[in-house]
Amino acid sequence: MNRRHPWKWLAVASLAVGVALFAAACGGGGGNKTTTTSGGGSTTSTAGGKTFPVFKIATDTGTDYLDPGLSYTVEGWGVMWNVYLPLIGYKHVNGPDGATLVPYLAQDLPKISSDGKTYTLTLRKGLKYSDGTPVKASDFRATIERDFKVDSPGVGFFSNIVGAANFGKTKKGHITGIVTDNGTGKIAIHLTAPQGDFQNILATEFAAPLPANAPAKDTSNNPLPSTGPYMITSYKPNKQIVEVRNPHFSAATYDNNVPSGNPDKVIWDVIGDDSVALQRTITGQDDWSGYHPIPTDRLASTQQKYGPQIKVFTPANTYYFFMNVRTPPFNNVKVRQAVNYAINRDALVRVYGGLATPSENILPPTYPSYKKHSFYPYNLSKAKKLVSQSGTKGMAVTVWNHDRGLDPKATAYLVDVLNSIGYKAKEKIVNSTIYWTTVGNQATKAQIGFADWFQDYPHPLDWIDVLLNGNRITQTHNNNYSNFDDKALNSQIETLKKQPTLTSSVNSKWGGLDASIMKQAPWAPFLNRQFTDFFNADVDLSCYENHVLYEFDYATICHK
Amino acid sequence: MAQSATETDFSLDTAATLAASEDAAAIRGRSPWYLAWRRLRRNHVALASLGVFLLILIACFPLAPVYAKHVAKTAQNTNHILEVVKVHGESTPVVSQGGYVSKKTGKACGTGETDCTLLSAIPIAPTYFGAHGKFVLGADANGRDIAVRLLYGGRNSLIVGIGSSAICVFFAIILSLLAAYFGGWLDFVITRFFDLFYAFPVVLLGIALGSALAINGFHHWGVNVQSGSLWIPTLVISYVLIPYVGRPLRGQVMSLRQKEFVEASIAGGAGPFRIMFTELFPNIISSVLVFFTLIIANNIVLEAALSFLGAGVQDPTPSWGKLIADGQDLIVTRPALALAPGLAIVLTVLSLNIFGDGLRDALDPRAKVKIEH
Repeated sequence: MNRRHPWKWLAVASLAVGVALFAAACGGGGGNKTTTTSGGGSTTSTAGGKTFPVFKIATDTGTDYLDPGLSYTVEGWGVMWNVYLPLIGYKHVNGPDGATLVPYLAQDLPKISSDGKTYTLTLRKGLKYSDGTPVKASDFRATIERDFKVDSPGVGFFSNIVGAANFGKTKKGHITGIVTDNGTGKIAIHLTAPQGDFQNILATEFAAPLPANAPAKDTSNNPLPSTGPYMITSYKPNKQIVEVRNPHFSAATYDNNVPSGNPDKVIWDVIGDDSVALQRTITGQDDWSGYHPIPTDRLASTQQKYGPQIKVFTPANTYYFFMNVRTPPFNNVKVRQAVNYAINRDALVRVYGGLATPSENILPPTYPSYKKHSFYPYNLSKAKKLVSQSGTKGMAVTVWNHDRGLDPKATAYLVDVLNSIGYKAKEKIVNSTIYWTTVGNQATKAQIGFADWFQDYPHPLDWIDVLLNGNRITQTHNNNYSNFDDKALNSQIETLKKQPTLTSSVNSKWGGLDASIMKQAPWAPFLNRQFTDFFNADVDLSCYENHVLYEFDYATICHK
Repeated sequence: MAQSATETDFSLDTAATLAASEDAAAIRGRSPWYLAWRRLRRNHVALASLGVFLLILIACFPLAPVYAKHVAKTAQNTNHILEVVKVHGESTPVVSQGGYVSKKTGKACGTGETDCTLLSAIPIAPTYFGAHGKFVLGADANGRDIAVRLLYGGRNSLIVGIGSSAICVFFAIILSLLAAYFGGWLDFVITRFFDLFYAFPVVLLGIALGSALAINGFHHWGVNVQSGSLWIPTLVISYVLIPYVGRPLRGQVMSLRQKEFVEASIAGGAGPFRIMFTELFPNIISSVLVFFTLIIANNIVLEAALSFLGAGVQDPTPSWGKLIADGQDLIVTRPALALAPGLAIVLTVLSLNIFGDGLRDALDPRAKVKIEH
C-alpha cells in the first residue's frame, strides 16, 4: 500500500479473482522493529487505571471511509482498529512482537486442516456489539458477503474461499465455503487452495464482523455498531470524528489481547496543513499531531524546544523507482543496472530531509527475511559505460511521479541522473489521485517512475508476490509497474507461497529471492523512510506504543 | 495655424496643450505617434519602469546562461545534493545531512539507542558572494542553485507572459473586428463565446485546463503539444483571457464602425476585410498596445498562480510561480527560496503596470483601458 493512500493492491486483487494464494497458515511471521526515541522495547498494554477524559488528534485528510468494508487507508484503519475487531488480530505492543497474531473475537487462533485448506475458529461466548445485540458466527459470513456487495477494495483477499468467486458475480445466496453455527459459535472457512497468509487476511478490517443486517452501502455517516473498546458516535467527513467507549466491551473477555482504552473519548479533528497540526499540538488544542509529519522546515526548532515530545518510527516501507522491462530502454538489463549504479542513495536520503535509510533491497530491513545486499554501489562511470554498451544512449525517457509531498523531488533527482548518463529525460508529474491507476495501466506504457510500498500485513508475500510476480500482471490496476516476469523466479514465488510458516529457512529463501530479483534490476530501490509522531506536553509518552502495522495506538496512550 | 493657449484656457487634452505650447512650425506634420512619444518621454517614472523591465529581460535571456556557466558553474536543473562548497573559506554542505542521529557519533541512530536527536536536511543559505558566485541565493532541497533557477524561471515566466499576451491580443483583435463589423449572428456567437468565458473565474478555468492538459498534452486537429511544454500554460492563459481584451475592443470597433470615414470607405468600394484592417485596426492600435503591455503583467501573475498550484509550468522546468511553490516548504529556515521569485514577480509586474499606465496616458489619455477579472 501507498502511505496515506488506498492500499491499492487490493483493487487489483479484486479484479484478479482466481489468482490463488497457496499454503497453509503462517504464524504471524515477519516482525518489524519500531525505532522510537525511547528505544521501543516490547511492552504489554493494559489500561492500568490510566483513564482520562479526552484525547484530541489533529489528523490529516486521508481518512477515506469509516466503514470497515470500504476503508483502505492508514488513517481509516488507524481509527478503526480499536473499533471493529476481527476474529484474530495483532498484539497491541511496540516492536517486532506487534506482528504476532492473537485471538480477538475468536477463542483461539484458527485450527488449520492438514491440507491447509480449512480454517476453523470459534467465537468467544457472550460477545455483544456496542448497541447490545449479540455477535453471532453467521455475522462473519454476512460481513464477507457484504464486502462483495459493497464492492469493497478488500474482496480480492477472499477470492480463495470456496464459492466466493461465484458469489462475487451473482451477489446472491451465500458463500458456500464459509460455514457457521450460531449455536456453538463455530466458523469454518474452506479455501480452494492453501494460502500462506490467510491468517493475516483474517486479521484485516475487511474481515471484522459486523451485524448481519448491516446495510450493503457506505455507512461512514451512520457508523455501524462496534465490537472494540470504542464506538464511533459521529463523523463529519473532512471535519471531525468522535469516538467514545463501547459500553459492552470488556478487555477481560479478550484475555487482555485488546486494551480497554485509556481515553474515555477520542476526537479526531481533520487538519489539512502539517504546520497547523504541529502548532495546534504545541498549544494544546490537540494531543497528537496525527499522521502529519513535522515539516522539515520546523524539525530542528521543534526538536530543540519539544524534543521529548517527538517519537521517530520506521514502518515497513520501501521507496523505489520502477523500470518497465517491456519498454525501451529498460527492456535491457544493462540499462536497469546502470540506473541502479547511477543513483546515489545517500543523496536521495537528504531529499527526504534525512529521515530515511538508504536501501537497495526490495524487502524492508524490519523483516526477518531481509538480507542486505550491495550489488549497486554508487558508480557513475560504470553506469555510463553500461548505457554505452546497451546502445540506448540518447533515447528519450519520461519519468513518472505524482505531485504529493517530497516524492517529486526524488523524480527531479532521477531526471538529472538520467540526463547525466546519456538520456534525454523529462518528468511527467500527475495528480496523486490518479497516479497509481495511470502508471498501473498498461496502455500508459510508463517507462520509469516513482513508487513506494507500505505493508498491508507483515509478510514477504505482500511485497514480492504482489509487486513482482509475473503471474499477477494485469492490464489495468497493475501493481507490478515494472512488468517483471521471470518464469524461474515466478515459480520460486509460487513454491514459497505454499510454505505454512515463516521459518528461518523460509525467510532465508525470501531474502534470496530479493537478491535474485535485484540482480535483474527491475527496480532501483533507494530508501526506507522514517516518520515522526508529535505530542503535546500533557501526554505521558511512557505509554506510547507504535504498532508495526497500525502505527500509533491511541487506545493505550496516557495523560500526565 | 494653431491658436496659442492662454492662461485662461482649460483643456483635458494634453496633446492639445502640448501642441499649443510648441512653435507652430515645429508641430506641423508631426504624427500622433510622435506626440505620444513626446508625452511618454516626459513621464520619467514610466520610462524608468520600462528600463527596469528591460533589465529584467536582459538578465533572464542573454545573461542567464552566461551567469549559469561562468559564475555559478552549474545548470538550471543540476542537483548538487552531496556537494560541499567553500563559503568564506569554510566548507559547507549544499544540503546538510539531517536525520535521526546519535548525539555521540552523529551517525544514524541504531535500534535501542536513546541519546539521539533529529536534524533537518536543510539546503545552504544564500552565500551572496562568499562562494565565488555559487549559490548566491542559496539552494533548494535538491541542491539546485536558486539564483540560476531564478533567471531561467524568469525566462520561462516571461515567455509564457509575453507569448500568451501576444496570442490573446491577436485573437481578441480578430474576434472583436469580426463581431463589431459584421454584427448580426456572428456578433451574437462571438459575444456569447465571450460571455461563456466571463462566467468562469479565470484562475479556476486556468487550473481546470492546465491540469487536464498537464497529463497528456494536447493532440487534436493536427496540433501536438507535449505535456510539460511551455506551450500548455501559454495557450491556456491566452485562451481564458481573450474575452477580457476582446470585449472592450469590440466596443471601440462598434463605435468606429459608425464613423463617416468607414461609410466613405464602403462607398469607395472597399471590401469588409480591407476596411477592418486598413481603417478600423489602425484606430484601435493604441488601445491594443496598452492592453498588450498591461496583460503581460497580468499573465505573469496568472502563470505564477497556476504554476504554484501545479497547473502551469511543470517540473523540473523552473518558473517564478514554481519556485515560490518549491520555496514555501522552507519558508522559515530558507525564506530566500520563496522571497526571491516573489520579489522578481513584484518588480516585473510593477514595472510593466507603471509603464502600461504611462503608455496609456501617452497614447490616449481618455482611454479607460484596464484588465478586470
